[in-house]
Amino acid sequence: MPDFFSPSWAESVREAVTAGPSEQARADKLQEYWDFYELLKSMYPASWALGCRELACYLFVQWGGGTVTDCRIIGPDEPLKATYVLGMDYQDWKALHEGYDAQRTVMYRKIVLEEGDLLEFFKAVYFFVESLAVIGSVPAVYPETI
Amino acid sequence: MAERKSPTAVLREGPRALSDDQVREIEDSALPEVLNVDIDDVIEYVHKDLKSLPDFTTLYRKYLKQRWDVYDLDFSQDKIDWQEKMTEAERQSFIAVASGFHHGERQVEIELPVFMIGASEEEKLHIAAQIEDEARHTVFFDRFYREVVGLKGDDIMAVLDASFPWVSETFVAPFGLLAYQADELRLHPYDERARVRYGTTYFLWIEGVLALSVMKVTLSYARWRGFLPAYYTGFTATCRDESRHVQGGMRYLQDAVRKDPTMINEIHDTLRTILFVSGVVSRRIYYEPLGWTDDEVRALFFLQLRRKLNDVGIGLSPDLEDLLQKVQPVLAGG
Repeated sequence: MPDFFSPSWAESVREAVTAGPSEQARADKLQEYWDFYELLKSMYPASWALGCRELACYLFVQWGGGTVTDCRIIGPDEPLKATYVLGMDYQDWKALHEGYDAQRTVMYRKIVLEEGDLLEFFKAVYFFVESLAVIGSVPAVYPETI
Repeated sequence: MAERKSPTAVLREGPRALSDDQVREIEDSALPEVLNVDIDDVIEYVHKDLKSLPDFTTLYRKYLKQRWDVYDLDFSQDKIDWQEKMTEAERQSFIAVASGFHHGERQVEIELPVFMIGASEEEKLHIAAQIEDEARHTVFFDRFYREVVGLKGDDIMAVLDASFPWVSETFVAPFGLLAYQADELRLHPYDERARVRYGTTYFLWIEGVLALSVMKVTLSYARWRGFLPAYYTGFTATCRDESRHVQGGMRYLQDAVRKDPTMINEIHDTLRTILFVSGVVSRRIYYEPLGWTDDEVRALFFLQLRRKLNDVGIGLSPDLEDLLQKVQPVLAGG
């Protein structure tokens, strides 16, 4: 199993978010919601840099043509450039992995937008939240503390 | 609660004129007397002063007179109604609607303090009062969910956790946006454009449209069926509090646009995002057991938004009009 925020974990994330939420997750919500999600996904041109503050690293996810065109870890000494830069503490990443709700992760500001156009970001917030839940569910070794 | 008018009657009747006696009844009723106040009159009262909005000191003085003690409510009859008189379908519909408010009140309570920093001294008084109102409303729902619905929890967050499964996935759009806009204000508390964007989400959309709609749906049901007297009393008193919040919020937005007409662009940009994500729902809520249809709830939304915009003098651009036609109800508020 890959380590959290390792290159192999980023590769697993790429496959998982490209595939999207599981059938089980989809079954709990209306088709019209997923149609909207798919519409957003198909036309989403932006990139996310999702940070883990303690590591000073970011998971970079670039979207284009309905798929992930680039997914990798950006280290502390590498240039950081993304449409939206967001930050989260390690304990909140771990909680997300252990099943904490992605919607509340946003709403309770466990993950916050550090750079990027806020109103544009929220036009695709359902797509972001569902993708965040998928990222959290990717199997990885999460140490007790960092 | 002798009157048993249909919950949706007001949609056919349209705006009503309030007599001086009715206004006095709404403004001066002590908590036990609020049970006799018609929720449609209180919602009308919200709009009464929108054309000539009161100043913040007046709103603060009203708060001092209208403040109520959430611990004075006795939910024992509500518990009997919930367990013995309401049907399972009514309970499920009611809780699906009310849970958005349970969480919404908590959200607007914690996101408001940051808005105070850049406000005038008079507005600070009003905002401080509003924060106390929102805290009281949070306790109101905490008590309702514990004492009537029967959810368990060692603290307020535990009860919020227990009711969260009823909260729709689309709740994150207005309330996540508000949280992030509050963050923006925390970093730039005197940025007037950021304040107007925040005010549009909080005061116009969440309080002016979402909150008043959900109040109307559950309160008219309770009045129609003669159920849940403490809920009706506390939530109608909450609606009276909201009248001050909406009037204060509309006053803020109106003043901002009058001072700088380009601020209308901030309102439109914010509404553009909100309306774009409001065109979809993630789960079906059955309003019929509460006396409503989807179309009637949607009509209620439009009515609430139109009245705020018209009374405050905010026009919509054609693209926003198009988005508005696609809006689906998300029953939440704060």
